[in-house]
Amino acid sequence: MKYLELTVGAALVYNFVLTRFLGICPFLGVSKRISTALGMSGAVVFVMTVASFCTSLIYNYLLKFSWNGKVIDLSFLQVLIFILVIAALVQVIEIVMQKLTPGLYQALGIYLPLITTNCAVLGSAALNFNAGRSVIDATIFGCFSGIGFAIALLIFASLRERLELASPPKAFEGIPIGLVTAGILAMAFVGFSGLC
Amino acid sequence: MYMLTGALLLMGITGTLLGVIIALFARIFKVDTDPRVELVRELLPGANCGGCGKAGCAAFAKSVVAGENLPSRCPVSSQEQINAIALALGISAGSGVRKRAVVRCGGDMFQTKERLNYNGVCDCNAAAVVAGGPKGCRYGCLGMGSCANVCPFGAIEIVNNLALVHRELCVGCGKCADVCPRHVIALVPADAEIHVYCNSPEKGAEKRKQCKVGCIGCRKCARYSSDQFTISGTLASVNYEAETLPGEEDVEKIQCPTGALLSAREHHRIETHDPNWKKDEK
Amino acid sequence: MSKIRSFKGGMHPEYDGKELTDSCCVIEAPLLEKYYVVLAENAGRPPKPCVAAGDKVRKYQLIAEADGFVSADLHAPTSGTVEGIVDVPGPMGGSVQAVVIVSDGNDHGSAPFDCWEKWQEKSGAELLERIRKAGIVGMGGAAFPSHVKLAVPPGKKVDTLIINGAECEPYLTADHRLMAEYPQKVITGAAVMGKLLDVSNIIIGVEDNKPDAVAALEMASAGTSVRVQLLEVRYPQGAEKQLIYAVTGRSVPPGGLPFDAGCVVQNAGSAAAVSDAVLQGIPLIERIVTVSGEAVRSPGNFKLRIGTPVIEAVKLAGGITEEPGKLILGGPMMGFAQRSFDVPIAKNTSGILLLPPKAALNFSSSPCIRCGRCVEVCPMKLMPCLLCASIEGGRFDLALKDHVMDCLECGACAYVCPSRRPLVQQFRRAKSELRKKR
Repeated sequence: MKYLELTVGAALVYNFVLTRFLGICPFLGVSKRISTALGMSGAVVFVMTVASFCTSLIYNYLLKFSWNGKVIDLSFLQVLIFILVIAALVQVIEIVMQKLTPGLYQALGIYLPLITTNCAVLGSAALNFNAGRSVIDATIFGCFSGIGFAIALLIFASLRERLELASPPKAFEGIPIGLVTAGILAMAFVGFSGLC
Repeated sequence: MYMLTGALLLMGITGTLLGVIIALFARIFKVDTDPRVELVRELLPGANCGGCGKAGCAAFAKSVVAGENLPSRCPVSSQEQINAIALALGISAGSGVRKRAVVRCGGDMFQTKERLNYNGVCDCNAAAVVAGGPKGCRYGCLGMGSCANVCPFGAIEIVNNLALVHRELCVGCGKCADVCPRHVIALVPADAEIHVYCNSPEKGAEKRKQCKVGCIGCRKCARYSSDQFTISGTLASVNYEAETLPGEEDVEKIQCPTGALLSAREHHRIETHDPNWKKDEK
Repeated sequence: MSKIRSFKGGMHPEYDGKELTDSCCVIEAPLLEKYYVVLAENAGRPPKPCVAAGDKVRKYQLIAEADGFVSADLHAPTSGTVEGIVDVPGPMGGSVQAVVIVSDGNDHGSAPFDCWEKWQEKSGAELLERIRKAGIVGMGGAAFPSHVKLAVPPGKKVDTLIINGAECEPYLTADHRLMAEYPQKVITGAAVMGKLLDVSNIIIGVEDNKPDAVAALEMASAGTSVRVQLLEVRYPQGAEKQLIYAVTGRSVPPGGLPFDAGCVVQNAGSAAAVSDAVLQGIPLIERIVTVSGEAVRSPGNFKLRIGTPVIEAVKLAGGITEEPGKLILGGPMMGFAQRSFDVPIAKNTSGILLLPPKAALNFSSSPCIRCGRCVEVCPMKLMPCLLCASIEGGRFDLALKDHVMDCLECGACAYVCPSRRPLVQQFRRAKSELRKKR
C-alpha cells in the first residue's frame, strides 16, 4: 500500500510538471514531436532514477556521520552535492547518446545538457531528502516522478502535434495556444488530487 | 574544524570520482567529431532551405568539409560568407553562378481569361488535379500561392492571381520550382534583367484567345539578336548562356508586340503599381 | 432469392433523381455527321492511332491500337473518312487527343471477328483474346481494360465473378435499363467470363431499387450458373471493394486488388459488350448513356456511339430548359464537371447530367466542427476529418500513415459534411503529391 501511494502519488497526483510545475523548460521545449519527446522522457526517467538513488546514498550515509565520537552534519551541502551528481550523470548520458543515437542527440540539442538544471531532477532529490526516504523508497520515487514527467510530456507532445494542424487565431499560433493547452491539462490533473 | 575538513573531503572526493567516471565514459564512447563541420555550420545561414541539394545546413557543412561540395553551392550565402567559409577551410570557394527564380508568366487576372469557376481548395497542386485550374492557359501560373507557401525567404507574393518574385529576397534555392505543378518557375542567373514572361508552347492564335500577354512567337526578338534569344516553336526565351545578356535598352529597341518580353523591373512595376495599364491600352 | 446485403458505412441521398429516367426505354441515336473518338480513356497510356487524316474507315475498323498494359483498342463508330487527330476537351478534364471521323452516312461495316455461337467450346485464352481485341473496358468508371482485369496473375486463386449492376450513383439508370431490356446479353457475358475464369460462382449484384431489372435478370438466368444478389440501396454500393464485401463478405486488403479476395468484378455494361463481342463478333463502339438532370427537357437513356459529342446527346434529349449550372459526365458523386458541350463521350461515360443553377451553387467551406459524420459514412473506414486536417497542415506523411491512399474518392464524406469542406479534392491532392514523391 505504501508503495502504491508512493508510485501513484509521484506519477499522477503530485505530477512534477502539471501539479508541482517543475521542469517546465523541457516540457515546452521538446514537445513539438512525439519522437523527440519520447527520447527526452527516456533520458529524464533515467537521470531521475539514478540521481535519486545516488543522492539518497549520499544523504543517508555521507552527509551525516559521526567521527571520533563527534557528529558531523554536512547537510548544508545538499544542494551543492546533488547538483554535482546530477551534472555528472547528465554529462555521461550526453556522451553515450552522442555515440549511440546521434539523431536524437541532434534533435534534443540544448535541452539535453539542460537536464542538469532541470528543477524536476533536483526537486526529486530535495523532496527525498526532506521526507527522509530510504534508498529504495527514494529510488522508486525518483523513477515514478520521471515516469510522471514522461506521461505529461508525451500527452502534451501528442496534443501539440494535433494543434499544429489546427488553425487558431494568428496571435495564438505556436507557443501561446500550447500554454493554454498546458493549463487545461494541468487542470485535468487536479482531478487526481485526493487519490493519496 | 572537523566540519570544514569533512566538507572539503566530501566535495573533493565526490568531485574527483565523478570526474574520473566522466573521463572514462568519454574515452569509451568517443565520437570523432570534426570541429570544422561545426565551424562551417556556424558560418552557413542556417535557413535549411535545401537549395544546395542537401537535407539542411548541417548536412551541407559535412559535405563541404568532406570535399564533396564547394562552399559556393550554398545559394543563400553572400559571396563574402562563402569566402569566409573557404578561408576557414583553406579551400577554394568555387565559382557558382548565383541563381534567382523567375515566374515565366505574365498572365495575371487582367490578362488571362478565366475558363471556369473554380470553387475548391486554394492551392496550385490541388487545383491542378481537378480540371487543371481556373485559368484559360494550361501552362501559365495558377496563382494560388503554393510557391509562396514553401518559400523559406518569403520572396514570393501573389499579386493579381500571379506569383511575383521579389528579386531582392530571392536566393534561388529552387523550392518554388519544385512545388509548382505547371513548372512555370525557372532558375536563371541572378544578373539577368530581361525575361520572357510566357511558358506556353501552344500555337500563337490559341494563346491569343486566352491571354493578352502570351508570347506569340513572332521572332522579333530573335531577329534583333539570335544570340540572346532563342525560339522553340511559338515560344521565345532568353538565352541565359549568351555572352552578354540583354538589357533594358534592348527591350525598348525590340518592342515586343505582346509585352511578354520585359525587364524584371518593369514586370514588377506593372504588377504592383498599375495593374490596369494594358487593359486600357487594348 | 436471398436476403438483401450491404457493406458498412456509406449513405443514400434523400433525392437520387433516378425517377427521371428509370422507366425510359433505351432509344437508339441516329447517325451523326462527326464523331470524336477520344484516345486517352483511362489513367494508362493512350492507344496509338493507326489511321491518318484522309483515310477511309469502315465501321468496326481498328483505329487505335493499345499501347502498353493499361490500354485498350479503339474502333471506328461508323464508316467514313478520318478528318484528323485533334485536341478536344477531355471527358476527365484537361485536353486530350481524339480521332475525328466524318460519317459517310452509309454506316457500312461487317463484324470483324467470327461469331462464336458455341462459345462454350472455346478455350479461356481464346475468349480473353477476343475480349482484348474488342477493346472492352470497365464501363462503370475508370475504363480499366477488361482483359487486364480478367487475367488472373499467377499465384492468385479466383473463385467468384461478380457482375456489378449496383449503379449506386444518383441520377444514372443506364445499367438499370440495360439489365431490364437486355438481360440475356448481361447473363451471356457473365457466363462467358465465368468460363474464361473457370469459376462457377457468378453473382450479379443489383441494388434493391431496380425490381424490373431483377425480374428480367432472374428470368434470363434461369437454368444457368448465374445468380442475382439483391443489394441495399446505399452509396457507394457499386464500388469494387464494397461490392465484394456486400456479395461475399470478404475484404480486400488495403492497397490490394479484387484478386486478393478471390474475386473478379466486371461492370454489367462490360458484360453485355463481352456478349456482343463473342456472339456477334463486334467490338465495343456504342453504349447506353443516361442523359438526365433537371435542366434537360426530356431526360432519357440513349444508345450512343463512342465519340458522340455531348451537345448532340443533349439535343436528342430535347435540349435544355434553362441554362445549366453544371454539366457533369458520369454521376453527380464521382463524375467530372465539364466546361464545354463539345466534350465527346467515351467508353466509360455512363451519364450526362445537366444540373440547374440552383443545384450548382457556389459555397465556401468553414472549419471542421468534428461532428464525425464523414467517419460514419466512409465506406473504407477512414477518418476523412483527420486526413483533411493533416493535408491542410502540409503533413502528407501523416495522411499516408492514416491510409489516404485507400480513399476511393467516392465523395460520401464531402456530401455529408455540414461545413462543406472540399474533402475529396484534398485527398486527390495528397494522393497525387504522394505518388510524385514515390
